Amino acid sequence: MNSQAPSRPPLSTADGIKMVRLLGTVSFVCGLLIVITHRGTLSAIGRNQERLTREAVAELLPGMQRQVVYSVHGGELSKGEGSDRLAGKIYAGYDASGKLLGLVMEASERGYADMIKAMYAYSPSKRCITGFKVLEMKETPGLGDKIATDKNFLENFKQLVYDPDHPIVAVKAGAKKNNWEIDAISGATISSRAVGRMLNRSIREMAPLIERNLRRIEKGE
Amino acid sequence: MTGAHLVQAPSPSENYETFFNGLWKQNPVFVQVLGMCPTLAVTNSVRNALAMGAATLFVLVCSNMLISLVRKRVPKQVRIATYILIIATFVTIVDYLIKALSIAVYKALGPFIALIVVNCMILGRAEAFASRNPPGKAILDGLGMGLGFSFALLCLGAVREVLGAGTFLGVPLFGPRFQPWVLFLLPPGGFLTLALWLLVFRAWQSRKERKQEQWRAAA
Amino acid sequence: MPPLAPEIELRTSPHFHSNRSVEMIMRNVVYALLPLCAFSVWNFGLSALALILVSVLSCLVTEHLFCWLSRRKSSLGDWSVTITGILLALTLPPGFPLWMVAVGGFVSVGLGKMAFGGLGFNVFNPALVGRAFLQACFPTAITAYSPALAKNRFTEFIPTTFTPPFLQPPPLADWIERVRVDAFSGATPLMQQKFDKVTADWQPLFFGTVSGSAGETPALLILLCGAYLAARNFMDWRIAFSMLASAFVSGAAFHFLNPAVYPHPWFVLLSGGLMLGAVFMATDMVASPVTPTGVWIYGALMGLITVVIRNLGGLPEGVMYAILLGNAVSPLIDNLTQPRVYGVHPRRRTA
Repeated sequence: MNSQAPSRPPLSTADGIKMVRLLGTVSFVCGLLIVITHRGTLSAIGRNQERLTREAVAELLPGMQRQVVYSVHGGELSKGEGSDRLAGKIYAGYDASGKLLGLVMEASERGYADMIKAMYAYSPSKRCITGFKVLEMKETPGLGDKIATDKNFLENFKQLVYDPDHPIVAVKAGAKKNNWEIDAISGATISSRAVGRMLNRSIREMAPLIERNLRRIEKGE
Repeated sequence: MTGAHLVQAPSPSENYETFFNGLWKQNPVFVQVLGMCPTLAVTNSVRNALAMGAATLFVLVCSNMLISLVRKRVPKQVRIATYILIIATFVTIVDYLIKALSIAVYKALGPFIALIVVNCMILGRAEAFASRNPPGKAILDGLGMGLGFSFALLCLGAVREVLGAGTFLGVPLFGPRFQPWVLFLLPPGGFLTLALWLLVFRAWQSRKERKQEQWRAAA
Repeated sequence: MPPLAPEIELRTSPHFHSNRSVEMIMRNVVYALLPLCAFSVWNFGLSALALILVSVLSCLVTEHLFCWLSRRKSSLGDWSVTITGILLALTLPPGFPLWMVAVGGFVSVGLGKMAFGGLGFNVFNPALVGRAFLQACFPTAITAYSPALAKNRFTEFIPTTFTPPFLQPPPLADWIERVRVDAFSGATPLMQQKFDKVTADWQPLFFGTVSGSAGETPALLILLCGAYLAARNFMDWRIAFSMLASAFVSGAAFHFLNPAVYPHPWFVLLSGGLMLGAVFMATDMVASPVTPTGVWIYGALMGLITVVIRNLGGLPEGVMYAILLGNAVSPLIDNLTQPRVYGVHPRRRTA
């Protein structure tokens, strides 16, 4: 920190020491303040974040009683949050009797403006997507941001079939013919298509992995 | 040692003036046009504007107080570094606090909480006021400026939310068929609304000045 | 070209005196726009008439209001604000809600012109400032097009026209279903080309009997009106020509790179607002460059940007933004293209 001292007016050693001492003291006090706040808010922040994901997962899997988190590392599934914050996560939800209700995963894709982050529910037994919820986006208000609220659009994700032979894709509003297609919102085609791409990419990556580990997930191991 | 100002016992009227200076006469946004980054970026709703105003108020009051406390010990060469250090500390604290209180608000404000550090209004008050005045006055100044800033953000946020979404603090005002003016939620809307308010303030000020001129001429 | 204010000469030398006034030129531009208005009413019906009237009226009222507020003589007499009103109307969908039109007129004149100091000081074409504002505010309403030559167009209004202030316009789909004469899905030829890759025939595009903004469709009529202005030297034909030529050339380049995706250059030229923009808006005297080379660069730049936005951007139409961008750089173009004074050697500037 004492590099801050300009060299032009020659400083005596005493001055230098004084500056270092002052900056040191101020830094120490500031550091202390930050640490205290960090400690004090840590549990509340953790709780908040956890509640946020839990609520989102519960919304996508109605009737959920218990939740197990898996993280994905290099194509392998492991139970628990894991230390890698960037690893993909799968939230498995179970009902009161311990039966697997479905899996919730996160997906993201570039929309019209910045990344759209979303969560979707997938039912391995029915092999279809059963719910979709936008977590974060910066789409144009009034147009693209309808992907989070438009009832007709969200209806698409009640039962969106994952078929390895047909990609999930957004088609023009009202042109949906097959149950792996998504009816786009008219006027928000770009955002709708981004949702289609996002789901297609994520499910194509995750579904085989889930298939392989289905036994484990069903037991909640 | 900074500031050759005389230290004298502040009188109540002086305190009053210190406080209202920031709130109105030297309003950081409408008069000094400082701190434009949060002013334009996060005023798309009343809630965000209030949250940003409160966060800035907190940082301003705390940093003003601490800087005023150490003002006599800070050598001139490292004063900016010291101020920034202190401001950054309180910004980090406010960052944690908001995250602990509401994740939704935290996400809405995004990177702009961290950017309070570079709000030139705060460093400006540190340099221009807190480093030359005793803690009591510095706190008052921080309160005045912070409230003035919050008031300005609220003015912008209200116009932008009412026109852009048809709601105030999330409460719908016009019923379901209201046509939102999308532009006001987008960044250009921030510029336009700010221009509108500046126009109002300038018109009001120049009118007042004209009146005073007339008074003086009459006298 | 006349001086815009008596003491300021905006042309580079040599200067000749002519006894034309701003008022006379502007009046002639209004005459040239009248056939377009008439066609628009014939093509889209009563709603287009209401649209044009409300637009002009709101522009006039705004100009008068601002003049009154700034204690100046009313400048309604120079006709320029009438042009702004007509142009704004011609760039909007025929069924655009009238309360939004009034907002657009207010923004055009208030923000686009009077805030800068009135005629001669505006940086951008005022009508396009208003339209850009409307596009950003009401993106859904401004893309709700109605069919051309609809049944009953002279006896009933498009349902969106009389939307109560501050409310959303009703959906048009049912009404379009009822009145259309041919298969029309609510998309302009440009939208059909961009999203469905269906390119319209050239005749309707050329004669203007297609869906689109109120006055942008009749390519032939626009050219004729433009020719009148150019012949009487009320308009800088070089700007319009270079913009169209540049759009044609860059459109051709795109088309021959990938004919499946990018439309034929003739389509580029005839569709959307390119004609109207090039002839009546890019040539705005205040916001365009004044040097002989400058006008060519200016036009070419706008044509290129139009095609780039249409072909590579998310929007089907890019003329408005192209012209606004052109307006923004026109002082720069002027600066870079100052002609050399005759008989003087170009010399490097010394500090």
